[in-house]
Amino acid sequence: MNTRNQLLCAWSGFGFALLFMTGFWLIAGFVPPPSPDASATDIAALYQQHTWQIRLGQFLMMGSSGLILPFVAAISIQMRRMEGSPPILTYTQLASGAVGAVFLILPCLIWTTAAYRPERSPELIQLLNDLGWIVLLMPFTSFVVQNFAIGLAVLGDQGELQVFPRWVGFFSMWVGVMFIPGGLLTFFKHGPFAWNGLFAFWIPLLVFFCWYLVMFVFLRQGILAQARTAPAT
Amino acid sequence: MAVAEDAPPGVRPHLPGEAGIWVFILGDMLIFASLFIVFVYYRGQDVALYADAQRTLNQHYGALNTFLMLTSSWCVALALNAARAQRNYSSRRFFMLGMLCGVGFVGVKFFEYREKIRAGFTLTTNDFYMYYYMLTGLHLMHVLLGLGVLAYLRQVAHAAPLSVQNFTALESGASFWHMVDMLWIVLFALLYLLR
Repeated sequence: MNTRNQLLCAWSGFGFALLFMTGFWLIAGFVPPPSPDASATDIAALYQQHTWQIRLGQFLMMGSSGLILPFVAAISIQMRRMEGSPPILTYTQLASGAVGAVFLILPCLIWTTAAYRPERSPELIQLLNDLGWIVLLMPFTSFVVQNFAIGLAVLGDQGELQVFPRWVGFFSMWVGVMFIPGGLLTFFKHGPFAWNGLFAFWIPLLVFFCWYLVMFVFLRQGILAQARTAPAT
Repeated sequence: MAVAEDAPPGVRPHLPGEAGIWVFILGDMLIFASLFIVFVYYRGQDVALYADAQRTLNQHYGALNTFLMLTSSWCVALALNAARAQRNYSSRRFFMLGMLCGVGFVGVKFFEYREKIRAGFTLTTNDFYMYYYMLTGLHLMHVLLGLGVLAYLRQVAHAAPLSVQNFTALESGASFWHMVDMLWIVLFALLYLLR
């Protein structure tokens, strides 16, 4: 039983949220997102005027995204306690959580490419800007699978002492559903379902970080409870 | 609510289902409420466009679906009553009827969407149709999820005698289905009827 390493993994989720938002919001200035309606010249100007901020912001976002992986592993360990054998939802969560991290790293690389030669043709900058936002906000699929796996594992927990409270299971599934409207951003260039709108950007962003907070709090409790109940070695 | 109505007076208020399901239900209602507010706000900016577009909807489909949704909710309430009387067979039959109404709802939606798409009204036609497809689409997703829940409840209703845990599961699932029903009533009023 290594409680310290488990807690370290739980804290890494906290580190991810902090560093990612610092890069995304404070440095790159991508919150609020540029409008999908903006002209190629406007988008190119954004990358030309804030070249180094965008480069540095993407570096931080990309770097922090790796911290998701230990966090996902820590969730898996607690899920295995809920599930018993065979830990099929645990594996599902581990796989989909890892894929989720990929879709946070990819947009950083795409935006970095745009900021790498900001003097190139505005249409190309706009293309890369579009691609980055679509890659970040459209792929809801692995998040939905991950959150339903967590939800089902929490609700299926037959143990005498629940690892996570049952409401966390329902909350997780609700969070999964909240990402789905983002998948339809492809149809819109303005309004609440476009990539800078309420339902494709603001709600998923808020819900995503609330989920991190809730998961972190109950992971920590679960790990400490596990340490108390484990036989001394 | 189907659940609290027959509680004798003096009994402390009873929350249907488990507390956790209400995190999901209230969270979902919060999101739909914000969708409704956004819709009404933008409608207020351009009432003429929304009213013109609304006239191209087929109210028969909407009304038929309202009937199906209400009937389905009623069947689920009857299934819960039957379960409370430990009449498992009757409970399962009502769940099946509720599911059939739900499947009917999905079928009607299919024909409605097909009619609209063939007439050239799509997600990108105008703002009214954007909300029409997004709201009804998100609701339809909840109906599909709810049909899965009802199928599960029908399985739960096999247990004889039904335990306290079984009732919690039945009430939780039924509460979710009633929410899906309630959201449709608001959607129907906003999209099809609001003048």
